[in-house]
Amino acid sequence: MKLKQVNAAFFVTTGISVLVFVYLVFLGYDEIKTLKDVIKIIASILFPIPMLFFVRFILIEHFLPKNTDEYKLKNQRPATILLIAAVVSSLAIMQVLELVTQQKLEQNLIFAHLINSTTISSYVLNYILYNNLKVNGVLSGVLLALAVHVFFLSN
Amino acid sequence: MNQIFNNTEQKDNTKKRELLFTFQSIIVTGLLAFTAMAFFYYNELTIVKGIKVVFAPFLSVVPLLFILSVLRDLRKGFKEGNYSKDEIVKFGLITLGVTAAFTGITYLLSVIGALEILLAAIIAILSTVFFLRSKIKDILGMSIITGIAEGIIVYMIFLF
Repeated sequence: MKLKQVNAAFFVTTGISVLVFVYLVFLGYDEIKTLKDVIKIIASILFPIPMLFFVRFILIEHFLPKNTDEYKLKNQRPATILLIAAVVSSLAIMQVLELVTQQKLEQNLIFAHLINSTTISSYVLNYILYNNLKVNGVLSGVLLALAVHVFFLSN
Repeated sequence: MNQIFNNTEQKDNTKKRELLFTFQSIIVTGLLAFTAMAFFYYNELTIVKGIKVVFAPFLSVVPLLFILSVLRDLRKGFKEGNYSKDEIVKFGLITLGVTAAFTGITYLLSVIGALEILLAAIIAILSTVFFLRSKIKDILGMSIITGIAEGIIVYMIFLF
C-alpha cells in the first residue's frame, strides 16, 4: 500500500465529481422516466473508459515522472497557474456556449455527465499511472469549473 | 483498483498491454449484454419466439469455436517498445472508422424487429470480439475493440 499517494487532493477531487454527479441526477430526476434515460446516463458515464484504455495502450511508456519532493517543488507553480487558467477558461467557454446556443446546460444534462465522467476518469488515470502534476492541475480546473457552473452560475 | 495497477507496474509493457486488452474486451462484452437487454426491453417476447431465441446464439458460436480451434494465431502478441507517430495516427484513424461503422451497425440492430435475429446478430458481434481477443493479440485488435465499444456508446448517448 502506498499510503503516501492516497492523499487528500485525490479524495477531494473525486468527491467533487461524485457530488456533481449526484446533483446532476437530482436535477434531471423529473426527466428520468423510462429505461432509455437511464441507459443514456450510464452510456455517458462509460463513454471515456474505452478511449482511456486505448490511449494508455499506445502511450504506455512515454512519460512516468517519479513522485519525488523535487519534482513536486519544481511543478508546483506551473500546476497552480494551470489550475486557475483552466477554471477561468472553462467557465468562460461554458458561459459563451450558453449565450451562443441560447440553451442552458441543465437542458442538456447528458453533456454535463459527459464532461464530468471524462474529466474524472482522466484524473484518476493520471493520478494512478502518470502523476503528471500539470495535467492534474488542468483536469482539476475543468472539474472545479463544472462544479461552480452547475452549483452557482446557473439558475 | 490502485493495487491492481501498482502490481502491474512491476511487469513489462507486453503484460500491461495484454491486461488492458483483456479489460477492454470485458468492457465490450458488458456493453453488448447491455445493448441486448436495452433492445429486448422494447420487444415483446412470445413463446414461439422464445424457443428461437434459445437456439439463435448457436448459429454464431459454433462457427466461432470451429475457427478458433483450426486457425493459428494471426499476430505474435504485443510490442515491447513505443509506437511511432505514423502507427499512432494510423490506428487512431482505424478506431475512428470502426466507431463510425459500429454506430451505424447498432442503429441497424435497433431497427430489427425480430428478436431472434437481433440476438443472433449481437452474439455474432460478441464472437468477433472473442475472435479478436484470442487470435489477433495486437494493436489492430485493440483498435477494433475500442471502436466497437465507442460505437455502441455513441449510439446509446446521441441516437437511442
